[in-house]
Amino acid sequence: MIRLENVTKRYGGETVAVRDVSFDVAKGDFVFLVGPSGSGKSTILRLINRQERPERGEVWVAGRNINDISDSRVPFLRRSMGNVFQDYKLLTNKTVFENVAFALEVIGKPRHVIASQVPLVLDLVGLAGKEDRFPHQLSGGEQQRVSIARAFVNRPLILLADEPTGNLDPATGEGIMALLDEINRTGTTVVMATHDHRVVNAMRRRVIQLDRGVVVRDQERGVYE
Amino acid sequence: MIARVVYAFREMWASFRRNLTLTAAAVLTSAIALLLVGATFLIQRAFENLLVQWRGDVEMIVFVRSDATPEQIAYIDTSIRSASTIVDVEKLQYLDKAQTYEEAQRIFVGDPVTLSLLTPENIPSQFKVVPLTEDPALVRSLSEQFRSLPGVEDVALAEDEFQVISTLSQFVRAVTLVMSVVLLVVAVGLIWNTIRTAMFARRREIEVMKLVGATNWFIRIPFMLEGLLQGLLGALAACGGLWVLNAAWENGVAGFKPGTGISSLIVPAGYLSGVMLMMLVIGAIVGAVGSAIAASRFLDV
Repeated sequence: MIRLENVTKRYGGETVAVRDVSFDVAKGDFVFLVGPSGSGKSTILRLINRQERPERGEVWVAGRNINDISDSRVPFLRRSMGNVFQDYKLLTNKTVFENVAFALEVIGKPRHVIASQVPLVLDLVGLAGKEDRFPHQLSGGEQQRVSIARAFVNRPLILLADEPTGNLDPATGEGIMALLDEINRTGTTVVMATHDHRVVNAMRRRVIQLDRGVVVRDQERGVYE
Repeated sequence: MIARVVYAFREMWASFRRNLTLTAAAVLTSAIALLLVGATFLIQRAFENLLVQWRGDVEMIVFVRSDATPEQIAYIDTSIRSASTIVDVEKLQYLDKAQTYEEAQRIFVGDPVTLSLLTPENIPSQFKVVPLTEDPALVRSLSEQFRSLPGVEDVALAEDEFQVISTLSQFVRAVTLVMSVVLLVVAVGLIWNTIRTAMFARRREIEVMKLVGATNWFIRIPFMLEGLLQGLLGALAACGGLWVLNAAWENGVAGFKPGTGISSLIVPAGYLSGVMLMMLVIGAIVGAVGSAIAASRFLDV
């Protein structure tokens, strides 16, 4: 589903973000990218959704080398992946329902699809009954659930999560992880960047560890260390 | 498809209302710029009416009585041509009654009384004379000579009539054109700035849109529509202003005595609506271009 081949990316010509990184993620996998801040986790996620382009090496998604696709095709690539962030990136002037509907609206889905899909996914993330709340009326965990609902409403092949539990207390974080696990079980490939030991150790999934932009460990059913 | 169109217009309208102050500034500037453009065209056209008979360096017009015989006309022609040191024979032009009548339609556009008295039969024909010499005294003495020829009704000299106006019209045209171009550039800049501000205010939204896979055109079109609307509103205001100005001008001109020349400083209604249409088109283009530049520039998230 995702393959990186000898990918190197530098910022500003000097700082090395990732160096010669290679790994494969099969369809339906759940992968943790772990490592301290600045180790290159976020950069890898940004390379996969083509917010960044590698300096050397290739990034393959769903059988296509995404360096080769033109800028005008990037939106269609992104429709096959959902993004979840540490700071949720919700639109504060829109309700829960509107935030999720927005993701479908801007890719031109018709109204009846929006009306049927949004309640389904809100139910899945456990937010049924809170459709009309605004983000500031929700707890952090609930806001992250909205953001996951928005990422998943289009049933993407891949879900990219960048520190999704970073702003949450442990118990709430567990709930979010359970939700991501559930989404993974529907066949969605999940790649999650984190430096949260507890969630990694509790899940026992594949772990790719980075240090200063280099892969130092790639282990099935790993722990954080 | 319909959902997208509805979306684009809804977003345009929401954004338009959010930045009312900036929007007002952009609309006002484009209105003033376009008003100047329109006024330039009207002024130019009005002066042209006045100067139509003096086009092409014509300095002297010999009017021939409407009842002159062909022999008399031929004699006048020979007389003018014989002054070949003063007159540019190559450029000597004879307008018969029909042609003169046609020309009069423009000269007397604001003077229907005089116009109604003229017919293709009673109107004089005319020789338009382009002099070779720069010396006005020579032209003047020549005109005295022609005035006494049989069949000549009158001789008019540009120097006496419209020299000042001609210079003035060129000056006014240059000034208004420069000013309107400058103001149009300012209008593009202001529209660019409102769109930029609108996009900055919504940068989170745009970031999310890009991440969930909205195409650049989908994001850009509402902003371009917003700019287009600003340009069009400015143009509409300018059209209203131009109409008021023109009506006031026509009123003022109507107060002058017929035959003083001022009365030809009027443009036909068809020309006015043509200018207004042009203003609307320019307004739309200015708005769309300004916002397209801004939108493309700030879309590289």
